[in-house]
Amino acid sequence: MDRGWWWKVGLIVAVTLGCIWFLIPTYYSLIVLDRDQRNNLAVLEERMPSWAPPAKYRLNLGLDLQGGIHMVMRVDTKTALQKRTERRAQQIVNYVNDKKLGEVAADTDPEKLEVTLTAKDPATMDAIQKEVLATFTDFKEVSRSGASLVLVQDESQANVFRTEAVDQAMLVIRRRIDKWGVAEVDVRKLGADSIQISLPGRSNAEQAKELVGTTAQLEFRMVDDSNPQFFAQLLQASPPPEGSEITLTTEGGFPQLQAPTREAITEYTKDKVPENRVVLTECIANPVKKNECTSYRSYLLDKNVPLTGESLASADANISQLNEPEVNISFDPAGAREFERLTEAGVGRRMAIVLDENVQTAPNINEKISGGSARITMGRMGGRTFEEWLGEAQTLALVLKAGALPAPVTVGEIRQVGASLGDELIRKGGMAAVLGLGLVILFMAVYYRASGLIADIALLLNGLLILAGLAFFNATLTLPGIAGFVLTLGVAVDANVLINERIREELGNGKTARAAVDQGYDRAFWTIFDSHVTALISAFILFFTGTGPVRGFATTLIIGLLASLFTSITVTRVIMTYFVHGRNAKVVSV
Amino acid sequence: MQIFKNKTNIDFISKRKPALFLSTLLNLAIIVGIAAFGFNFGVDFAGGTVVEVKFDHPITAEEVRERADKGGLPDVSVQNIGAAEENTFLLRMGGVTQLNEESGAKGKEALEALGGVRNVYSDLPNGIIRFRAAQPMDSDAVKKAVESAGIGVQEVRDLGEAQGGTGYDYQVVASGMADRVFAALNAGLEKPDFEQRRVDYVGPQVGKQLRNRGIMALLYSMVAILIYVAFRFDFKFGPGALLSMVHDVIMVAGYYLVSRREFNLTAIAALLTVVGYSVNDTIVIYDRIREDMAKFKGKPFAEVINIAINDTLGRTILTSGTTALSLIGLLIFGVGEIFDFAMAMLVGIVVGVYSTIYIASPLTIWLDERAAAKEARQRASGNVDHQQPNAA
Repeated sequence: MDRGWWWKVGLIVAVTLGCIWFLIPTYYSLIVLDRDQRNNLAVLEERMPSWAPPAKYRLNLGLDLQGGIHMVMRVDTKTALQKRTERRAQQIVNYVNDKKLGEVAADTDPEKLEVTLTAKDPATMDAIQKEVLATFTDFKEVSRSGASLVLVQDESQANVFRTEAVDQAMLVIRRRIDKWGVAEVDVRKLGADSIQISLPGRSNAEQAKELVGTTAQLEFRMVDDSNPQFFAQLLQASPPPEGSEITLTTEGGFPQLQAPTREAITEYTKDKVPENRVVLTECIANPVKKNECTSYRSYLLDKNVPLTGESLASADANISQLNEPEVNISFDPAGAREFERLTEAGVGRRMAIVLDENVQTAPNINEKISGGSARITMGRMGGRTFEEWLGEAQTLALVLKAGALPAPVTVGEIRQVGASLGDELIRKGGMAAVLGLGLVILFMAVYYRASGLIADIALLLNGLLILAGLAFFNATLTLPGIAGFVLTLGVAVDANVLINERIREELGNGKTARAAVDQGYDRAFWTIFDSHVTALISAFILFFTGTGPVRGFATTLIIGLLASLFTSITVTRVIMTYFVHGRNAKVVSV
Repeated sequence: MQIFKNKTNIDFISKRKPALFLSTLLNLAIIVGIAAFGFNFGVDFAGGTVVEVKFDHPITAEEVRERADKGGLPDVSVQNIGAAEENTFLLRMGGVTQLNEESGAKGKEALEALGGVRNVYSDLPNGIIRFRAAQPMDSDAVKKAVESAGIGVQEVRDLGEAQGGTGYDYQVVASGMADRVFAALNAGLEKPDFEQRRVDYVGPQVGKQLRNRGIMALLYSMVAILIYVAFRFDFKFGPGALLSMVHDVIMVAGYYLVSRREFNLTAIAALLTVVGYSVNDTIVIYDRIREDMAKFKGKPFAEVINIAINDTLGRTILTSGTTALSLIGLLIFGVGEIFDFAMAMLVGIVVGVYSTIYIASPLTIWLDERAAAKEARQRASGNVDHQQPNAA
């Protein structure tokens, strides 16, 4: 046997062992662990031997197999943009009035995103046009005739706004889902205006829809600072129940309760809060995984909500002259008056910004703020990098915008599968796969005898490679994926049929066993290659256009076809070569 | 073991004309059928709600429908799935939310009764009622009014003051149907005797989008495969491969048309897989034709093709057979769309063999003959041109 052959044998053995090694997390998660622990990576890591691959490389079951909810929400960016145009038109009118440039009326065309300004006195229009275009850079001039000026939302600005609207909606959804405490939630953007949400193990679709489909509520509430020691005294007066893990922290600058879950705090403080006060919590984000909360801290707030997101006109993250990130906000005229009153009465107190009952931040009021524009500074840089620091400002700006100009969200798709159905599908899918594979293996062994058995070995290795590949790429196994698995193996064995038929033909032409095997492989190679490429083309297109379970099917198909090029050709040939070259077999059993 | 002990020598090519004629007729019939009757689109493409329920005691589809009707859910189609003793049913509703024309009109009345409300518009596809009010409204009052019309309310959205101070805009978002199913089937029972196992809801816009994407995916993959075949083989093989692909897709679509099985995302996946798979047989034969063309120089092209088809007949049947064999498990244990997928694949595999022999190959012959005739004509006319100066 030549060196090349030994290399190939080494490769095959390495791949086989590698696949088995890679399937250890899958084995533990699906078979060793209880079903409710299946997705708990920490437990999985603990149970596995230390030499096993990281727990994240386990075969995920799709929502159709393990039960759960898959949702696609569509963000109505059109309505949001129309509302924004109307709002901007009002701001232009206010601006012109404030600057005493003249008197204009604004009329908006929501379909075209156009604003028509008409001046009472045509003579003032030139100055107004110049000033407005210089200040409101998100608008472009369309036409001007006499006293009327038509402006349109700049397309690139509108696109920025659309993207932002989706980001805002995503942020709101993430924060709300966090309330459920669902592990393994996956929220991601889908296309230009949709958001895809996966909630494994959840079953109430209507509840989920309500949770993510309702519009965000932004509120400004005063923090009750009349008794800064409130939480400290509360903890002393009535100790929290065993196991609630409620502790006192002063990391926020004053005593606060801290607990690993929101429920612990709300449960404990229930009925212990003075009249007209309410306890809400802030999520302390995990420093690594920003979307998860490591703990929650309590705030005692006024029950009264003096100001809501509706009064907020704009919110933007900027870098100040001192090179520190900050968020600039401005209110509409009514909001500005209320804000001035609040800040005047509350100098030295804190004002909490609350989105959907979650405290986002509670900045200190340093002075009375009139004019409706305010700055929220982001505290000290501390251990953060500048990017993280700025990122926090950007997130806060996004939160504020989400409350100020919420884009309506409608449900595009909901697919919910109960856990019992998922189990049944796994069972049936497994039986279908075993039966289909068994028949193919049996047929090959009977029809091609030894060569068929060699092909069967390759087939089993192919199956192993598909499963390990799915685990490696963190892909999900879905019900159509099981169908894809079975079908791929049916297609993979075609390659061996082609090779074996060719060998038979060459033997029939009177070639020696050695020549027949070599020619059989050489001649069949390109045919197999071509047919794999065409199948891969349609599988890739399905992968890029499909969603959810169908995508799982495409993934399985792609991995299987690629693996088949290796197993059906290289693996079987190495074994065949061993017999006809190494053992000098004179007869090929095909 | 062998399928054919001796080499076959069947004259496939001579029967190509009647075969082509019959195939064309069948394909046209399917296309007309699709245009006339349409597919039985599933919720993926049509939008709507499907709920799968499993009862813990024997019950017929008719009884389930009656119960839904009594519980206030008319127009529900009830279909038994799986074995009869599993008592599992699919309930399908065309409506997306609890808002429909009738309840929308009632809701409008109820809203207008609140006073100062105008421009009430029911956006049925999105399940949203929009209206404008003269003064800011109490959202609980709005919710109550709409619910009194029999529409479950998910949310009342306050869109703020309308431009120019002409009023205040509101949206009322209606609840989905899945809630109603549970309530309707559970009406009058102490505790539910069924389990809601699966809910599929697809909004109408998304359905349209998914359908368009599916059609585009089919076209893209056919074009991409055609380019590959034309690049790897002679260009004259391209049209044959394309037509046989189109033939196979139409035939599989015909399965969905005739069986009235649900045409959904899985069906698109089946069609795409058929496209990728059916061209495999074509490639096996094309490879052999190309090889034989070099081997039997001088023989007529049609004869070479016939030899190639006969030589590869065994393996064409074997490769298709092994793939079909792998599908048997899915056909036995698969329920619903997985069964349909396996069935569609089976149809695709069978017609794929046929189309390779009777569509891909004959078309190649026809193209070759045309090219030869054209070349002959050109040579003939070229000769005339060439001779003219001599004659003069």
